[in-house]
Amino acid sequence: MAVFIDLNISYTADKKRLQNIIETAAHLGYSTVAINHVVDFQQKKQEIGKPQCISDLFEQFPIVQGKSRPIKVLNRLTVVVSEASHFRTTNEVKLYDIVAVFPKTEKLFHAACMTYDVDIICIAVTEKQPFFFKRPPVNGAIERGVFFEISYVAAIKDSTMRRYTISNAHSLMETSKGKNVIVSSGAEKPLELRGPYDIANLGLLFGLSEGDAKAAVSTNCRAALLHGETRKTALGIIHTVKKPQPTAKRQEEEEEEGPAVKRAKTEAM
Amino acid sequence: MVRYKSRYLLCELCVSDQSSLQLLDERAVFTAVKGAVSWAHGDYGAALCSVSFAVKYLNAHTGVVFLRCRKSHYRLLWSALPFITSVESRGQRVPCFFNCLHVGGTIRTCQKFLIRYNTQQLLRMLRHCHSEAERLEVRKAVLSCSVKSLGKEEEEEDEDGCGDEEEWGES
Repeated sequence: MAVFIDLNISYTADKKRLQNIIETAAHLGYSTVAINHVVDFQQKKQEIGKPQCISDLFEQFPIVQGKSRPIKVLNRLTVVVSEASHFRTTNEVKLYDIVAVFPKTEKLFHAACMTYDVDIICIAVTEKQPFFFKRPPVNGAIERGVFFEISYVAAIKDSTMRRYTISNAHSLMETSKGKNVIVSSGAEKPLELRGPYDIANLGLLFGLSEGDAKAAVSTNCRAALLHGETRKTALGIIHTVKKPQPTAKRQEEEEEEGPAVKRAKTEAM
Repeated sequence: MVRYKSRYLLCELCVSDQSSLQLLDERAVFTAVKGAVSWAHGDYGAALCSVSFAVKYLNAHTGVVFLRCRKSHYRLLWSALPFITSVESRGQRVPCFFNCLHVGGTIRTCQKFLIRYNTQQLLRMLRHCHSEAERLEVRKAVLSCSVKSLGKEEEEEDEDGCGDEEEWGES
């Protein structure tokens, strides 16, 4: 049994609802979920804040269906880019486990695929894709290990959105041939989530083959996670962690030891 | 002798409020699924899926549903299931979603899977017990179900037992 991952759960300030969504996800069999913080610079007073501390959410994380481990929750940042100046790698960005961009124009899509240091590129699902997907940027993104994301919540909500989602997904599949595609929820309510096998089957409607559709909810998501980890660490080879509070203890020990040594010296003399 | 090959989809109806499951009946689920198929795949899909389509079983306690359709078109039916957001029953809309647990070739394999799945659920729910007394109570309830009905109905009763536990465990 594969490990299923849902990389897009919309962040709400309502803690209760967030807990509900995560519990439902655990019940459905997702072993990892990511809470998505969206930043759109076109709206006023938007800035990238620090991610919410995850251990605050639950005292005890719900157990995943069919496994004995508790669910893993991550933080994800999505930057809506409509101008080139919007996306910058700052220290705040590095605090998130996964970084995604939502390019609005073809130029920015090209830049996102080729140069931006991101893990996921979102595809529009609520409107007709404003530009065509061209081969070179898509191939470049696949080579760099960047993933394309289709969220299915709009398709569930509304009939016209569903048409946009399916047509945009198909036009992406034409160029990417089903490689490096992630299907994620984007759920705002617990009832908007769907089971992983249902999503794998829904992938068939999006033009994915059976194997690719299953990979889109399991292995590709894992690859995106690992790609995100390489940003935090030195290319995934070395990982540095601050030790919690060794200095205070050591000082105490030294203080205790110090006089003892002196005492020993004085005794010797 | 060649028989018609079918696929049985074992689905779970997930609702936010457990008590609203009691409102559902087989007809309501039938119309909801059929509506979703024709919504997603149009007349063509609805016509293909309606061949030997049936709701074989519905458990109003646990929300378990068996759907049957022809083997050749079950993917059409399955891909329409995620688009169901509510089931209308007795004039009330029950917001819910279908979670497909298992797809089998016979209803027997699905039943076997369901029993295994329900025992798993029971173990999951037992964690929520706060005291040893509660745990004993659950054990007694399960035993009383299975001893009462030996033979054929044993398995079905077992399910019901688990269903009660689920409701009880969450409260």
